[in-house]
Amino acid sequence: MINMKLNGLGVTVEEGMTILEVANFYGFPIPTLCHMEGLSPYGACRLCVVEVGDGPRARLVTSCTSRAEEGMIVRTASNRVMKARMMILELLLASCPQSKIIQDLASKYQVRQQRFRQEHEDCIMCGLCVRMCEEQMMAKAIGFRGRGEKRSLGTPFDIKSEECRLCGGCIYVCPACQLRCTYTDPDKAICGGCANIHPPCYLKDKFDDMMCYMDPCVACEIKRD
Amino acid sequence: MKRLISLDEFIDFRRRIMAEKEIQYDKPTLVICAGTGGQASGSNDIIRIIKKYILDKGLQDKLGFRITGCQGFCEMDPFILVQPGRHLYTKLKMEDVPRVIEAALGGFVAEELLYKEPRTLKACQSQNDIPFFQKQTRTILGDNEKLDPIRILDYMEQGGYAALEKALKRNNSEWIVNEVLKSGLRGRGGAGFPTGKKWQLARASGKDGEQKYVVCNADEGDPGAYMDRSLLEGNPHAIIEGMLIAGMAIGADQGFIYVRSEYPLAIKHTLIALRQARDLGILGKNILGSGRDFNIDIVRGAGAFVCGEETALIKSVEGLMGEPRQRPPYPIEKGIGGHPTCINNVETLANIPVIISRGAEEFAKVGVPGNTGTKIFSLVGKIRNTGLVEVPLGIKISDVVYDIGGGPVGNAKIKAVQTGGPSGGCIPASMFDLPIDYDSLVKAGSIMGSGGMIVMDENTCMVDIAKYFMKFLKDESCGKCFTCRKGTQRMYEILDDITKGKGTLEQLDLLEELALVVKDTTMCGLGQSAPNPVLSTLRYFREEYIEHIVNKRCPAGVCKELVGAPCQSACPLGTEAWRYVAYIARGDYDEAYRVIREANPFPSVCARVCNHPCEEKCRAGTGGGQAVSIRALKRFVTDRAEPSSYIPIRHLRANEESPKVAIVGAGPAGLTAAHYLSLQGYRVTVFDAERKAGGMMFSAIPAYRLPREIIEKEIEALIDENITVKYNCALGKDFTVDGLFSEGYKAVFLALGAHRSIPLKIDGENSEGVYPSIQFLRSFNVFGKKLGKGAVGVIGGGNSAVDAARVALRQEDVTGVTIFYRRTRHEMPAFEEEIEAAEQEGIQLETLTTPTKILTNSGRLTGLQCQRNILGEPDASGRRRPIPIPGSEFIVPLDTLIVAISEGSDIDCLGVAGKMKIEVDERSSTVKVDSETLCTNRPGVFAGGDLVTGPNTIVDAIAAGKRVAVMIDRYVRGVELKQPASVRMPKIYVPPVEVDEETAADLRVETPRAAVPWRKRGFAEVEMSLTVREAKREACRCLRCDLDFTRPKETAKPERMEVEVK
Repeated sequence: MINMKLNGLGVTVEEGMTILEVANFYGFPIPTLCHMEGLSPYGACRLCVVEVGDGPRARLVTSCTSRAEEGMIVRTASNRVMKARMMILELLLASCPQSKIIQDLASKYQVRQQRFRQEHEDCIMCGLCVRMCEEQMMAKAIGFRGRGEKRSLGTPFDIKSEECRLCGGCIYVCPACQLRCTYTDPDKAICGGCANIHPPCYLKDKFDDMMCYMDPCVACEIKRD
Repeated sequence: MKRLISLDEFIDFRRRIMAEKEIQYDKPTLVICAGTGGQASGSNDIIRIIKKYILDKGLQDKLGFRITGCQGFCEMDPFILVQPGRHLYTKLKMEDVPRVIEAALGGFVAEELLYKEPRTLKACQSQNDIPFFQKQTRTILGDNEKLDPIRILDYMEQGGYAALEKALKRNNSEWIVNEVLKSGLRGRGGAGFPTGKKWQLARASGKDGEQKYVVCNADEGDPGAYMDRSLLEGNPHAIIEGMLIAGMAIGADQGFIYVRSEYPLAIKHTLIALRQARDLGILGKNILGSGRDFNIDIVRGAGAFVCGEETALIKSVEGLMGEPRQRPPYPIEKGIGGHPTCINNVETLANIPVIISRGAEEFAKVGVPGNTGTKIFSLVGKIRNTGLVEVPLGIKISDVVYDIGGGPVGNAKIKAVQTGGPSGGCIPASMFDLPIDYDSLVKAGSIMGSGGMIVMDENTCMVDIAKYFMKFLKDESCGKCFTCRKGTQRMYEILDDITKGKGTLEQLDLLEELALVVKDTTMCGLGQSAPNPVLSTLRYFREEYIEHIVNKRCPAGVCKELVGAPCQSACPLGTEAWRYVAYIARGDYDEAYRVIREANPFPSVCARVCNHPCEEKCRAGTGGGQAVSIRALKRFVTDRAEPSSYIPIRHLRANEESPKVAIVGAGPAGLTAAHYLSLQGYRVTVFDAERKAGGMMFSAIPAYRLPREIIEKEIEALIDENITVKYNCALGKDFTVDGLFSEGYKAVFLALGAHRSIPLKIDGENSEGVYPSIQFLRSFNVFGKKLGKGAVGVIGGGNSAVDAARVALRQEDVTGVTIFYRRTRHEMPAFEEEIEAAEQEGIQLETLTTPTKILTNSGRLTGLQCQRNILGEPDASGRRRPIPIPGSEFIVPLDTLIVAISEGSDIDCLGVAGKMKIEVDERSSTVKVDSETLCTNRPGVFAGGDLVTGPNTIVDAIAAGKRVAVMIDRYVRGVELKQPASVRMPKIYVPPVEVDEETAADLRVETPRAAVPWRKRGFAEVEMSLTVREAKREACRCLRCDLDFTRPKETAKPERMEVEVK
């Protein structure tokens, strides 16, 4: 067991727990977009930063990737953390304003303005889908390509992957495209992030008795009308 | 080569090689640098010629020849170093080679090809005499010139692998680690983590017998940095030796050299070196019978900047996408394949053999405590000597920039240096006293980084630099963590907006806020240091950002959308220089004159005495060539036109009374304001204390530079029926500001000029024969009195001093003229062409001299006691401070002494004491105004020209007059004075002319001057006009920066082959 200080509270936790797990266990919620139980920690969205240490040596670390250590001093909502979190949310809003999750988070953290040039992107590169595909579905059908602002998600050379079983796990975990999957226009109704996924309802004959993975997508319903 | 199987055999082998070295060195040897830099400059051609020459003449036994890696002096490539004697022949061409070889064989020196000190043009006999090398401590880099990188025996001759021998003999890994720890070596990759500490941790890490790795990080990606490449290219065995020792120290048996594919020569040399080491038995299984294994493989990186980050590098070595991961765990705990991995920079590893073979204490003697040893920097940018320099840590930045680097290339002063590549920061010239060590640089907001050092001068825009680095980083960020990917992109967006004039002050705050969050929240070193270029430029050059945002001006003349044509934006009057130059090229001189005259009421005056800021910013000059001679072209045009031929457009006032405006001072500022106000329909009265109009133009500038009839003609053309000039009317004596207002004047413009010389403040200044320069010049120019007699001395280095000296020389009773200046000629603020002309006329320059005492005999000057100076450290302006040498006093007998150190205005009558209640700055004797509106503290009273700025140029005075005319008009009409800044962009399209053989020229035209004996006799003008042919040729040299903005949009279809249709 490890003794540490969490927001001024002396706590005792099991060895090997991440700060995020500790904080959630003790009821200090930390927002995160790229973390999901069952998937390996990734540290991409940076929303879950917490302040570790004291005085001038204090620094921000991502709580999802950092393990709790003996004597650690952690603050989950210090000024420095809140400032960083609000800026990250502002950046997220500037890129993916249509995501319900991001909107809710922004409102929860009282982000009232967005001062950057507005973009409308579909992906925040959190990597949840990639890890879902690799770690839970054992498929490795999609991955990241390129670097910097050209980084994108998809299959190599945009060729449909033979590994993809159209399980839909990637869409299930996506924090950005939620809204899109309940869209009212059939060809825009699904993610379209990679070459793998086409709306199954378009090929309904071939998938006659297959359960549709797009629930709650209504693309086929729209088409039928 | 026979494989050596025991340590004894190796020791024996090394000893034999070292002994043979002595025999080889009795013949002259040519050493040529053939690193990547050398090859790019053409050393391969030189090598071919040398080889052919040696073979043709059968000189194989008489002449040694060594091809080495980079030696550091890249500016002078290709060069040959001749041993013995270390004569350095630089910037060689193929045809110079035979001469060099003959000199080497004949034992003489080919003077004409030797390196010459650029300022004194003195040839340096030996490499050791060259200032570039003198202040360096080339512990590591110095070996590069001594060995051929693809010959292992060369390395051993220089004592190579001695450290390995020592380490194997001891066979104690703890001893190695302790030795490195004691040496105080810190990682040369940039962060400066103690290498010994890292090895200690790596040694202790992992289970017993667990696989461990040593990695040499040669993924050098900083723009402008290439020291790692040069080490791998020039001395790969040193790196191999370092890695072998590292392997022994931490217990690893496998090493990787991670080098980028862009370094083919480094890869080639390293591969050859690895094979040689394997063949000799010092690499591979059971090294020299010690029972230890160590193998090294090369991993080629695909050139992603982020792969220099250690966790990303590990991923890349593993064959995965080069993405960092969160540390801890650190690579020394979990590295390649989860095994402990010790990653060191190339330069760190190159230091290891030095530490082991010479001992830690010896190593720690270099540098300063906490920052021991030497560091290699690649010195690039706007500096005279670019190249690789190796200096002890703790040396001052100014030593590197000014002594080793040789200072700026052109006239522009050095403004800042950027250290540490894209993740580093800019350090301003005012902080050049800073010692170069890891901790000081971090405190200053920069980092050591891998050692790139980019020097920037006044023609570099700091916002543009920050934007450049941000673009690099946004492209090179791996994109994994959100704040780095989006943060760099957004910072780039904001910087881009600012450089395009679309930025706002709110955006500037946002930029800073964002930069701090990015620094705080990103995952790896790349992201954490990515905001450094922004933060450090914001910290030291915020005013440049504000200038871009508020005034829509780029002071360096770089940002295209704000500058338009640099010549136009540099001109205080906004003269469309590009436009009249284009008209001159087309032969349309009338139109050219109209363009000049529209912006400037004194074109002929400016054509002679302007300090031509346009030429300083001319892209033909800042790009490395020579600026277009814009002033000479202006002179050419104005000589062809009468000032009265231009009819300005008048604004007519219908049915309203013309308001009255008073202007005090009929100099360039006053007359310009009078002219433009008159065009607006004002009735202007100009008061002047002299009996003639012209102000400083008339009383201070001598006739040989500016003929009197030119001033008179131009003034005559300006004074129209709206302007009345009252001469012999002095402010304070004959009238007051209050009086003017009560007489019904709506506004007053004070443009009194700077007519009072500032005294030297040493004893004897009031003696007979000592004159302030203004008094001396004025007595002659206005009253024709010749005050100079016998031996004349002038104290000062500005234009006023040179003018006074040249005027004195033209007076009959003068026997000789000497100028005393406290710095060197290079630092003199006077125009270069004026100093040159003065020297031609026989005026002596006594530089590095400070007057200490004026010697008198019964109230009459007899001489001057002076003290010699040496130049010390450069001050914030980049000029070196003069430091007096004690005991160096000497006496110069003089009959006349002219003091010309600076000028001020006669402000006594203006201040509170003079009862005009105008705020003045007593110290600089100037009037305080709002810099934008030129308004004084009294409403309706404006001031401009030298009265506000202190002694300044004519063109600035004219600009002030122009501005005041606008402000007075707005004031009288009751409109808000401040206007939003606007950008002056080229608008009118002048079609370019075809440049043919006759008009093509690379070099700037020289302004013709009258012959020296003739001009010394009188006051006839010295500078002459260009001929038509010269003018056309010079005008054709213009790069036409305006065309980017004015060229009509291509509407015509692209040219196609005509096909006949039947």
